[in-house]
Amino acid sequence: MFETVWATVNFSRGLFGKPCSAARVEEVLRAVSLWDKRNAKIMMLSGGMKRRVMIAKALSHDPMILFLDEPTAGVDVELRRGMWNMVRELRTSGVTIILTTHYIEEAEEMADRVGVINNGQILLVEDTATLMRKFGKRRLQIQLQAPLPSIPAALGNFELELSENGNELGYTFDAQSEGGGVASLLRRLGELGIEFKDLHSSESSLEEIFVNLVSKRR
Amino acid sequence: MNVHAIRAIYGFELSRWFRTLGQSIASPIISTSLYFVVFGAAIGARMGTIDGVSYGAFILPGLIMLNLLNESISNASFGIYMPKFAGTIYEVLSAPVSALEVVIGYVGAAATKSVLLGLLILATARLFVDYNIDHPFLMLTFLILTALTFSLFGFIIGIWADGFEKLQVIPLMIVTPLTFLGGSFYSIKMLPPVWQKITLLNPVVYLISGFRWSFYGVSDIGVVTSLFMILAFLVACLVTAWWIFKTGYRLKS
Repeated sequence: MFETVWATVNFSRGLFGKPCSAARVEEVLRAVSLWDKRNAKIMMLSGGMKRRVMIAKALSHDPMILFLDEPTAGVDVELRRGMWNMVRELRTSGVTIILTTHYIEEAEEMADRVGVINNGQILLVEDTATLMRKFGKRRLQIQLQAPLPSIPAALGNFELELSENGNELGYTFDAQSEGGGVASLLRRLGELGIEFKDLHSSESSLEEIFVNLVSKRR
Repeated sequence: MNVHAIRAIYGFELSRWFRTLGQSIASPIISTSLYFVVFGAAIGARMGTIDGVSYGAFILPGLIMLNLLNESISNASFGIYMPKFAGTIYEVLSAPVSALEVVIGYVGAAATKSVLLGLLILATARLFVDYNIDHPFLMLTFLILTALTFSLFGFIIGIWADGFEKLQVIPLMIVTPLTFLGGSFYSIKMLPPVWQKITLLNPVVYLISGFRWSFYGVSDIGVVTSLFMILAFLVACLVTAWWIFKTGYRLKS
């Protein structure tokens, strides 16, 4: 509380059995953008800065495994990006990081593996890429040249939705399948004389996968 | 032995002391100087000698003890209570640091501060009274042993206390009265026989008596008995501290 940032980070380093190293502490403080505040008392810092001090304390003794419990909760966007970069650098340097977060975007952005916990139970632990492939959905939106009154019966075997004004067709398909039948859908549209002016495809985010997983358990 | 951890705790605690030099050094030195002015120069000049020692010089060991006990207890109790209060104690508890290393760090720092303060008061006293130290080695032994013992006692109080009020209760309500009644300002031989016997129940009597012997070679109680008493208290405090870390009393609960 009354100590300076420099003193408290040095204290943590010593406490975990590491010899004094001004150079290492400087490096850590610069990494969390606290070098300018090294002589400031902890009590004078903002909430986000205090959070960074905690991270600096944890990093000061060069841990092999780092537990970060919602490190970016309540910090501004710029700082969050900075912290993400720092976590990436640590990961690259070989530190194993276990990060808990409510920001799914954060997990998607940084994690190699993602675990989903709901009501204290681990629902799954999976490589992020595999998880996205396995549980993710892709969606193709087709802007039509002329509105359709309804979905033609000939397109019945595709999982299609028509917008209220009939100007847009939405096609949702499994992210795991190669192409998911997009080519055959487009071919079929051509055969039926339905012309389109634009295509837009999107993938479900980890957040959508998370919500989907959790809601299934309710 | 995690030497870096001991050094970290020790250095951290000492830097806290240097941050508050006015409170930690100036305040006890000024108040002790006032005691010398009032009791040594003003009143003491009109009093005779006690056991052949002038009154101003006679009260010197007692005044050093008074400060030593209070500062040792308050430094150590505050040192361990603040991390508990701020929640940072969990960093210490989760670090690869043994109970012994924690105690050496916190108690060592508190004892160092108290010994330095005791020596500063001794130096300041030169300005007011003429004194000699017959047994300097024994004087330092008493100073260090007392500082260590009462720092350990303060450390235990700091762990036991669950509020700032409790931190003050034992030093103010027990230690200070015992020090005043333990022969800081008088020889217990000056008391009526019954009170002389009752006074022997006061552990501080032994500390002051032994400490005074190291200065002037005169004491109310034998110096060996004094040394034995302080060592006994030190062992009792060590056992209590060991039990606290073994059970996690007021640390992990």
